[in-house]
Amino acid sequence: MTTTVRTGELRGNSFNGKDLSTPQKLMIFVLSMSLFGLSNILVEVIPEFTIGPVEIALAYFVFIPLVLAALFNPFWVALGAPLGEIIFTDLLLGDFSGIGEIEGFIQMFLAIYIAGSLIRNPLSKAQVAFGAIMIVVIDKFLSAIVDLSKVWFGLEDAEFVEGLPESMLLIEVIGFGVDILLSGIVFGVIPALWLVPKLYGRIEPLMGMQPRQPGKPIQGSTPGIGITVALVFVLGAASAVFAFLEAWGADFGAAEWEWLDTYGPAILLVPAAIFVVLLAGVFVFAGKQRKQP
Amino acid sequence: MSERKTHDVLSMEWIKLELIRTAYATRGGLFAKMDPRVVLLWYLLLGGAPWFTHNITVLAILFGLGVISVIAARVGPLVLGLFVLSLVVEVINVFVVAWFVGGDVGTLLALSELSLKLGAVSLASMAAFVSLDPEKLSSALLALKAPVMLAFSVSYGFRILPILIDEFSIVMEGYQLRGAPAKAPGFLGWRSVSRWGKHAVLAFYPIFLNVATSVRTTVEALETRGLNHSVTHPEGRRLRLSHLQTGTLDWIVVAVTFVGIVFAFWVGAVAPIHR
Repeated sequence: MTTTVRTGELRGNSFNGKDLSTPQKLMIFVLSMSLFGLSNILVEVIPEFTIGPVEIALAYFVFIPLVLAALFNPFWVALGAPLGEIIFTDLLLGDFSGIGEIEGFIQMFLAIYIAGSLIRNPLSKAQVAFGAIMIVVIDKFLSAIVDLSKVWFGLEDAEFVEGLPESMLLIEVIGFGVDILLSGIVFGVIPALWLVPKLYGRIEPLMGMQPRQPGKPIQGSTPGIGITVALVFVLGAASAVFAFLEAWGADFGAAEWEWLDTYGPAILLVPAAIFVVLLAGVFVFAGKQRKQP
Repeated sequence: MSERKTHDVLSMEWIKLELIRTAYATRGGLFAKMDPRVVLLWYLLLGGAPWFTHNITVLAILFGLGVISVIAARVGPLVLGLFVLSLVVEVINVFVVAWFVGGDVGTLLALSELSLKLGAVSLASMAAFVSLDPEKLSSALLALKAPVMLAFSVSYGFRILPILIDEFSIVMEGYQLRGAPAKAPGFLGWRSVSRWGKHAVLAFYPIFLNVATSVRTTVEALETRGLNHSVTHPEGRRLRLSHLQTGTLDWIVVAVTFVGIVFAFWVGAVAPIHR
């Protein structure tokens, strides 16, 4: 084992301890950011087919964050991957949609972190396959709920055709199925089942880490289980808030003018205040992170 | 301009060069001369304003401001082309949906509101982020006390992207050349599509290992130069960020934009168009 011969700050210093050093966390983060960003550029190139209202499109290469989350600490992978998507495709190609990006980031973070935490043994085919499906399910389920509730709230005021809610539901269900099939299985489970065993034990030494041992706790601490759970809940709630911020712009009804009249323009400060509070929370959180060795 | 006489406009090579040019912002332009912190503030102003209104008059004027700033920022043809393409697709979509729902001009206006809003925001972000090279963007983020990881990864991402695309296309071409071509394209060319997909997945195996190595080298090099310490230590921060200075131009641009936004909302109040 080369790792035992070359001991240094970055080389296997921590392999009998449980923690990763800060540079190693940074490595995982940057690796997942670069790879997922690159794959997103490829996805942009692939044409999308639309059959009627149903869109047959590849959402993302799920296997990339999945493989990384299975082999490395999922927290840092989950933090890096959606940021890569934002930096590489959205920011660079001028497709940055401000608040909407935060919703996407939170959904993707939750999906990868939960799916990665579910995988206890990276060499178990069932667990990896389950993880791949879970990423798509969590991400798409969150956005499907958001989509449906947008229409539902929009419908309360707008006069719409009979049967529209049912057909919307049908479209969402079909879209969900297509995503699971295409993004989850064809570009998720199948490549991951091939890649994870191939990369296991090869990529970790390149980054100066030990391969993950089944049944043992994963290398690298995540910031406290309590804080993480709280953060996940806050982020989930925030995701909904941001989604509805979008919905006020996106729905068909005339609802927003009524609420603007009843509450006055000051109501607009509420989402702004929530945003500021969240941002402050992120900075405080990041500051604490930094103080930890 | 002599090197760009060739008309290989939509080749892979051209796209790569355009991306490099976009990432490094060598075109010059108004925002490239400004202080990066002020550019971010400016972006918050113009990119944030569209979210606070549903008035189509206001949105149209904000969209106009966005167009002006994109011209001032001298955004390159690839990014601009992609934006125009997506706008055209969006407009077609709006018409199709309006026809599908069986709506009239009102539905059309309601649908175009969102496109206008997103368009105005994208124009602002294009103007701002095309003008900020990675170095500037990351020092602006650091100056605004963003986490070190974010500041670093933005600048790293912008820099590594062309190299990554280059590496990937080499590996991908290798697979394409070694494998036998599809015998027949099949229905809707599904054989070629699945072949492409298979190669794209296969190509990621070497890319994973390559990127892991290069990431480690980069991070170790940065650690040797004291990245974490130099940006967390107050004295190091001060030294590192001392080159950031705001000038008259910065505040003129911000003031003009602010006046423009106020003007937009004023016109919107006088002649509102709602759906």
